[in-house]
Amino acid sequence: MTFNEFKEKIFSLAKKDGFEAQVEFSEESEFSIRYANDDIDQYTDASKFSVIVKVLKDGKIGNSFTETLENPEETYNEAVSSWKIVDSDEENFFYDGKGKYLNMETYYGEFEKVPVKEKINFVKELYQSAKCNEKIVMVPYALFQNFAINKKLSNTLGLDLEFKSDGAYSFAMAISQDTSNHSGVWLKVGKKPKDLDPKEIGKKVCDEALSLLGAQTVNSGKYRVILRNTAFDDMLGLLRSMISAENVQKNMSPLKGKLNEKVGSDVLNILDVPYHPLSISNRPFDDEGVPTKEKSIIENGILKTYLHNLKTAKKDNVEPTGNAIRSEISPINLFVKPGELSFKELVEKLENGLIIIGVDGMHSGANPISGNFSLGARGYKVENGQIVGAVEQITISGNFLELLKNIEDVGNDLFVTFGTLTPSVLVKELDVAGK
Amino acid sequence: MLSKAIIQDIIGTVLKHGGDFAEVFVEKKYQNRFELKDGKLEKANTGTIVGVGIRGFLGTKAIYAYTNVLERENLISVAKRVGEALGEAKLSDLVLNFDDKNLKNRHIVYFNPKDIEKDKKVDVMKRAYHSAKNFSELIKQVAVMYWDYDQEVLIANSEGTWAEDRRIRTRLMISAVAEHNGNMERGFYGPGAGMGFEFFDRINVEEAAKRAARIAVRMVDAEPAPAGKMPVIISNEFGGVIFHEAVGHALEATSVAKGASVFAGKLGQKVAAECVSAVDDATIPNAWGSANIDDEGVPTRRNLLIDKGVLVSYLIDKLGGRRMNMESTGSGRRQDYTFAPTSRMSNTFILPGNYYPEEIIAATEYGLYAKTMGGGSVIPGTGEFNFAVMEAYLIENGKITKPVKGATLIGKGYEIIQKIDMVGNDLDRGQGMCGSLSGSIPADVGQPTLRVSEITVGGRNK
Repeated sequence: MTFNEFKEKIFSLAKKDGFEAQVEFSEESEFSIRYANDDIDQYTDASKFSVIVKVLKDGKIGNSFTETLENPEETYNEAVSSWKIVDSDEENFFYDGKGKYLNMETYYGEFEKVPVKEKINFVKELYQSAKCNEKIVMVPYALFQNFAINKKLSNTLGLDLEFKSDGAYSFAMAISQDTSNHSGVWLKVGKKPKDLDPKEIGKKVCDEALSLLGAQTVNSGKYRVILRNTAFDDMLGLLRSMISAENVQKNMSPLKGKLNEKVGSDVLNILDVPYHPLSISNRPFDDEGVPTKEKSIIENGILKTYLHNLKTAKKDNVEPTGNAIRSEISPINLFVKPGELSFKELVEKLENGLIIIGVDGMHSGANPISGNFSLGARGYKVENGQIVGAVEQITISGNFLELLKNIEDVGNDLFVTFGTLTPSVLVKELDVAGK
Repeated sequence: MLSKAIIQDIIGTVLKHGGDFAEVFVEKKYQNRFELKDGKLEKANTGTIVGVGIRGFLGTKAIYAYTNVLERENLISVAKRVGEALGEAKLSDLVLNFDDKNLKNRHIVYFNPKDIEKDKKVDVMKRAYHSAKNFSELIKQVAVMYWDYDQEVLIANSEGTWAEDRRIRTRLMISAVAEHNGNMERGFYGPGAGMGFEFFDRINVEEAAKRAARIAVRMVDAEPAPAGKMPVIISNEFGGVIFHEAVGHALEATSVAKGASVFAGKLGQKVAAECVSAVDDATIPNAWGSANIDDEGVPTRRNLLIDKGVLVSYLIDKLGGRRMNMESTGSGRRQDYTFAPTSRMSNTFILPGNYYPEEIIAATEYGLYAKTMGGGSVIPGTGEFNFAVMEAYLIENGKITKPVKGATLIGKGYEIIQKIDMVGNDLDRGQGMCGSLSGSIPADVGQPTLRVSEITVGGRNK
């Protein structure tokens, strides 16, 4: 059975029972090579497709999924039996596709044309560059991965969309050794092969690992801190959860009731952008088919909007913002607007304190409901505007909203990962636990 | 799922085009995931995934491919790509005699989740909801998640392995949020087992829900945990996550074979305090992390990892075994067919010692009592770990004095197991999902109550 036949079958079954129906078809392929111990450690060449079926009646949605197009009846029946047990009073919707969609280029098709041999050479070079110095005792992994996605989304209200996207990323880890081991990692994302240079990424990885040699803990206390872009990127995971209107409506966000209030320092501007030239997560519409659009989340420290899907928007009586991603609400590209200062200037402005280059434990040591966090951290010590040594085996802790208010300055050193783009930030005061 | 003839052809194709080992993993997994918030069932999702993973080795080189287009032509073309990516074409034709590993099923299931009406499952969720909600007026939000699945796997390889297994698992997860004086804290408890719907006759649903609520209520008015180095008593059951993260991951062939683990080359050496013995045991009947065979078709077994402080075994999969020149320990696992298997834990725990938990607390002048652990993570190359403590108390003069919140434990795994100085007699296991290279898999962690003489606690400075 073709996808179109499958879809038509679902639509006709739904029509007969008085349901609206929506079918999402996605085809994903990935190719990755991981290098370790001077050889290919893992090599994956794969593709799969999946289908999600939703049925809607009386404001309730039932879901099912399948990986075969042979049994539309069974898939439909599972969705209906799921629909039957849903008893939430919340009203759910489908989108009719009548909005205005942004034109954007998201598929380049260049990575899939690169011969496998060249990709293998890429990871070899990455691996070698990450081993730039005899103090690097190991490169546990060096990886290249490219992916392509093709999505089709249709429903009985007339929505009929298609979207193709591709990209790649590469990262590696190096371990340096003195009396103990220290890790360095770096990641880069790219839309075209020319965006990824294995030597440059490898060199970064190596430098990061070497920079932690001789690392010491510090005395517990309050410090002025720079959260380098790599660390702040991770910590923004807390904000992602807090700005979801679903979490706000369910009392699961400390940003509840703070719309148009000051939640961050004056210098802080955070947006959700559907397209950024450096991102590989750009999208013209979300998983409900709603057009994505640019909006300020925090403007000069003031909370301007939450992120919505169809359901939460209706509940708050606002327009949907195009942020339904899988079954969650999520920014397309969370973009912290860069400031004026280079990283070096930011360090000079810090004068005395710590630079945090990486945090551990975001999934366990950070609580998005309260905003409290306590995370393992590493980085450098700064005296008189100069980096004077490396720091490890410490934790940073506090409340994320207090942290946002304590941001004194924002750097201009944008770092890009998967749907997050952020520079480094200078924070007036943060609790640090060490010895 | 797939016929012997097709599987034989897939294996033959990989070998013919360049591999010296080929493996086929066929999976069909039916699953239900329901989500209840504020007492109402909000999301219900049911479905089936079906796919095939094809893997080839040449020496220590491994190539993995997966697909869910199950037509013969596609499968053979994927197999050919795997073989070609491995090396030079070989001419020999293969004759395979599959050895049916007709293992006795150790994990009897009475009620397959497929056969239970969805509304019965929702009833269980609602019981949990009411119990947590009614625990205290401070409980403002309760979310209940229900998850079950029925996974059928078939693994065949060029060594003649033909092994099938069926893993049925059921889990209930309760998350409760307490709010008081502007503070919000969350408590979580998520019991699960390798069982069908009978799981809910074996556990007390109401008590499980109260446990999540209790944590949230106790923590909401707690003051911030102290910061600095101090003795830490880690409670039993889910407390074992510290061993899982800080030691278990570093014993996996994935990191040992590369020399990326601090435990590489340490077999037979003393790596932990003498009071520490630990096992990984996938044979425990109906446990959350159990299975009859691993995802490479090797029968599972009980692996003693540390014996009275001495390292006696790693956790090894086939590829890791090739790299380390050692046998598989039945530890090759993967989330589903979209992941190549690698060495993973199953049910991992520290064995009991002699002390009553009360004795351990009474013997501690000042320190932290980590009653319920949250999650954590570790960097195998350096041994650095971090854990959140979900429910913690201060110990002063041998007594638990007050709840404290926001504590994180950091350190290095190999240092911590040398600093364990008291091990209790109350071994129990808790359930979690373990994420690593081969995806997210069910795993039990466990331990008795134990004391670490010194850990850095990340809390707030006054």
